[in-house]
Amino acid sequence: MTTATDIRSIDRVEVDRGHIARRIKSVLVHGLVLFLVAIMLLPLFYMVMMSFKTSTEIAQDPLGLPSSLYLGNYMNALASMGYVRSVLNSLGITISVIVVVVLAGAMAAYPLARIQNRISRIIVMIMALGLATPNFVTITPIYVIFRDLGLLDSYVGIVLAFASLKLPLAVFFYTGFIAAIPIELEEAARLENCNNWQVFWHVIRPLLAPVTATLSLFVMLMVWNDFTYPLLLLTDKDKFTVMIAVYRSVGNTGIDPTMLFPAAVLGSLPLLILFAVFQRRIMSGAMAGAVK
Amino acid sequence: MRTRFSLYLFTIPALIVLIVFFVHPIIMTFNMSTTNFAGIGEAKEIGWRNYERIFSRDRYLREIWVTLQFTVIVVASLTVTGLFFAAMLHRLPLIRNFCRAALYTPAMMSFVVVGYIWQFIYSPINGGLNVALTDLGLGALAQNWLGDPDIALYAVAFTQIWMFSGFTCAIFLAGFAGIPTEIEEAGRLEGASSWQRFRYLELPLLGPSITVSVILTTIGTLKTFELPFILTKGGPDGATRTLSIEIIDNLFGQYKFGFASALSIVMLIIVIAVAMVQNKVLRDRENVT
Repeated sequence: MTTATDIRSIDRVEVDRGHIARRIKSVLVHGLVLFLVAIMLLPLFYMVMMSFKTSTEIAQDPLGLPSSLYLGNYMNALASMGYVRSVLNSLGITISVIVVVVLAGAMAAYPLARIQNRISRIIVMIMALGLATPNFVTITPIYVIFRDLGLLDSYVGIVLAFASLKLPLAVFFYTGFIAAIPIELEEAARLENCNNWQVFWHVIRPLLAPVTATLSLFVMLMVWNDFTYPLLLLTDKDKFTVMIAVYRSVGNTGIDPTMLFPAAVLGSLPLLILFAVFQRRIMSGAMAGAVK
Repeated sequence: MRTRFSLYLFTIPALIVLIVFFVHPIIMTFNMSTTNFAGIGEAKEIGWRNYERIFSRDRYLREIWVTLQFTVIVVASLTVTGLFFAAMLHRLPLIRNFCRAALYTPAMMSFVVVGYIWQFIYSPINGGLNVALTDLGLGALAQNWLGDPDIALYAVAFTQIWMFSGFTCAIFLAGFAGIPTEIEEAGRLEGASSWQRFRYLELPLLGPSITVSVILTTIGTLKTFELPFILTKGGPDGATRTLSIEIIDNLFGQYKFGFASALSIVMLIIVIAVAMVQNKVLRDRENVT
């Protein structure tokens, strides 16, 4: 009798020991991965920390924490890079690109989702080519065309250039989405004598909000971060987007850290906030875009 | 039938934008690539001379080589780091979403900002990396990271890898999520270790994710411009001079529009060729395993 209980309790000790060992291992693995992720984030921490240091602090203690939240760097950066103006430019361009891409994209997607024939396939192929071609291939003629049409240094020009980059993606997103909308919804409207446009505008368009939201985030990301197009197409300081304002104020040689880091923080902050809020939608959108 | 056909009118705005800003420019690139067009004035037909120049001079061949080398380093490392983090996070549901978002954050930033931050991290004077190495007692490892032709390309590549590891990790995590739980359960019941499950169950099933990730990162990396442009301007001694930097330099430094177009066409052909080969090889591999 006693031996039986002994064996059982020994068993339990063994089980407990295995359990504890697994627990410890699990904590260690979690800790290790979190540590690695923290190392990956170090450069971001470094950027924020450096932006608050005076030039003496940077020279004397390059890795130390700033002694106080010194805001002088930010004041200088704000003044010299025309930050507010460039943020408004980026916002205005973003909104205009979204309008063009969403409207032209959704409209083009409607027939492509509803009619399967050779014409649709050819149009889809053009879109696919547009999606896959690096913009370096078209950059020289774009510059020439813009110069000849007087679109250099104009909001219209940069908006259309950006719109053409994201339009193919919009068409793909919307085509997939509209194809999944039951055709019965449209037939009801057609019985009421609605024409194509009315069906599109009153039946299809109101259902597209989820795709539009994802696309808008994509466009925002591109307009905010893209460097090549504004570098080539904009020279007027008043029309600079945020990134080109950062680039023009920091420069390329003899970089001054007290200018660089606050400009970097100011340049990325709006998008990082956006990412913190819409993290799930942005990542799932990016993954959907990746798989297409 | 009439309503069906008139439906195509809806594609007109999109087609206009694409024809003006994509189809027409591509044709123009081809046409300009056989001229000596200098931005203004007459463009003279010079046949294949631009292409002969590209393929007969060491300078341009080296740029193609640098571009390819850079792409191989970046794509291989992104695949490995992405797979590593995804495999770990797949096993750690508690911190999965947080870490996925944290790792993805650098990809949300612009090349300009990332380039500037890393330029200062690599800086030989007060730069974060050398100071950190010295503080850790590893001062001997301190380098002129961007100034040494043997190291610069790796330093630039490392920055790009830092930026996009979260992207490949997210693609692979989506792939992991698509693996049926019964398969994982079966592996666990058979007593397979974590590594064995990864190697023999998950890795083969991740084939499609690997294909997507490799092709996307390759296309993105072959046209790399911003990071080498900000970090090194293509230097030192041409060690990080990619094709894209040469294109921009010809365009705006020297106004050789015809030659820049020929370089663009070479880049297009490289991108298409590499993507097609990868697609074929990776899809075949998916079917075998």
